Amino acid sequence: MMQTRESLRSADEEREELENGYLTDFQPRMMDWNASRIFAVKNIRIAIRYPTNVLIWGLLPILWLAPYLLMMTAVAGPGTSEYFSEVSGFSDFLQFAVIGWFIFKYIDASIWSIGNNFRWEQFSGTLEPLFVTPVPRISILLGAAFSDTVQTTISAFILLFTAMALFGVSYTLVAVGPIIVIMLLMIIAFYGFGFMLAGMILVFKDPSVLTELINNAVFTVSPITYPLQVLPAPARFAAYLIPSTIAIVVIRDLAIIGTYDLFLFLQSIALMCGILIFFWAVGIGVFNYGEKWTKERGSMGGF
Amino acid sequence: MTQTESSSLHEKMMKRGGLRAELRAANALSIKQWRVEFSYPLSVLYFIVMPFLWFLPMLLAGTAVAGSPTSSVFGTYTGTTDWVTYIAIGSAFSGLAMSLFWGTGMAFRREQNVGTLETLMTTPIRRDTIVWGTMLHNVQHGGLGVILQLIFSVLFFGATLNLWGVFPALGIVVLAVIGMQGIVFALTCIVLLAKQGWMIIEVVSEVFLIIAPISYPIVVLPPILQYVSLASPLTWSVDAFRSFLMYGFLAPGIIQAVAALLIIDILFIVVGSLLFKYTERYVRAQGALSQF
Repeated sequence: MMQTRESLRSADEEREELENGYLTDFQPRMMDWNASRIFAVKNIRIAIRYPTNVLIWGLLPILWLAPYLLMMTAVAGPGTSEYFSEVSGFSDFLQFAVIGWFIFKYIDASIWSIGNNFRWEQFSGTLEPLFVTPVPRISILLGAAFSDTVQTTISAFILLFTAMALFGVSYTLVAVGPIIVIMLLMIIAFYGFGFMLAGMILVFKDPSVLTELINNAVFTVSPITYPLQVLPAPARFAAYLIPSTIAIVVIRDLAIIGTYDLFLFLQSIALMCGILIFFWAVGIGVFNYGEKWTKERGSMGGF
Repeated sequence: MTQTESSSLHEKMMKRGGLRAELRAANALSIKQWRVEFSYPLSVLYFIVMPFLWFLPMLLAGTAVAGSPTSSVFGTYTGTTDWVTYIAIGSAFSGLAMSLFWGTGMAFRREQNVGTLETLMTTPIRRDTIVWGTMLHNVQHGGLGVILQLIFSVLFFGATLNLWGVFPALGIVVLAVIGMQGIVFALTCIVLLAKQGWMIIEVVSEVFLIIAPISYPIVVLPPILQYVSLASPLTWSVDAFRSFLMYGFLAPGIIQAVAALLIIDILFIVVGSLLFKYTERYVRAQGALSQF
């Protein structure tokens, strides 16, 4: 009898809470910044629990970069080659590659971290609760992207400073302002790229294969270790569709030479803004379609 | 199935033993892994495209500094100016090594993640058969990758192979697998003890790949790494595999490479097997097999 009274009271309280609470006032929105912030803080809290991950992701790329540099040394001799200077406009291929790999850290993160975020929630068993939360999915993805940018920036600087010390290369900080502007545009453009991948991963499930495939394809056509000029013309065109290509070219010039033609710089900014809008539109579109497709088939929680 | 039939099948299973039974179990594990991989359609595409995508950046980086498929600097280090063929063969072989390190090293963790590790461990087979079975799958998987990459390299990038060296090169693959299985046993121990062992596998496998003459001769490494490199089975395997495929039967320095590989193989497989035996026993005694 007492239990029935208690449950009746609790049902009344719940109804009252619902009537006055968030759920009844809830209106679907395009973006919930509060949800993004909470999700980003949650991810950063988890990351802080595993600090070695940030360190190891800063140091591991050196093990991937070293074979390229050793191979280039074996083929052309230490540091430089006449042909390389001719096609790239830079004399030192070590200096050329290290800054490229620094930027590649952000490409890698956008593909692996943002795109795979929902897959990891699925592995943790929290995907379904997350999807019934009354907030726009894009806010959740954006939150994940913010937290990944923080972690990637730390790892990227660990990589840059370690590689500079190991390979004896240095860069100028004269144009640090323009570098930051270009970097920000690239990172925001990559968020759209990450949303697109997140949608694809919801559909295809197995993220390792898709992610590896895209990561390797993007790496191959990007001017990270070698200049764009060595790519065949169609691949060079494809490279310019990736948000990082223009950024790598401009940042490399600014970090090595310290100057860049003002008109070309503004042109690059305009191009990057165009790419940013394109990737956000495509990314949100693909993600929404992927989510709808998965929900209709009831395969959201399937592996 | 009646109860009598079920119990007779169970008795038959418990009585099984011997090398033939273990080989059948290893083969069943290999087939199971193929089925899992082919249930993801993108895996098939990945499998075909990846050997190509792994090699391409190396080729482009080499082209950016050499400007042509030959390099006299490379000739002074390696004895051949054809750096494209040198890197194509090395890079193809590294695909096999990666497949063994990752595929086999993480086998226990994978079974644990899908909830089948305890079932597998209570199956009446030797524990190391689980590792050998996964290795069998990864040799097939990685081996097909090597073949695909070599075909791509010959057809599209102008690599030249000496067909007389194909059979002896296969012999080197067998020796390489034995040595690398020793490393894989050690990696499996790390996974069993540390559970989330991917980080260690990544570092260990990358270090083995860096010190091996995959896309450059070891002479470009710092002196201390050159000495460490000589103790790795991967170094001698890649060297001998490439020598046979580039120069045929009478490849220079091949006897020395095969002899060194035989000695290293024995050392690695004995140490690796013992490590696995004692680690697996320790983990079970601690009741930590299914812990995440």
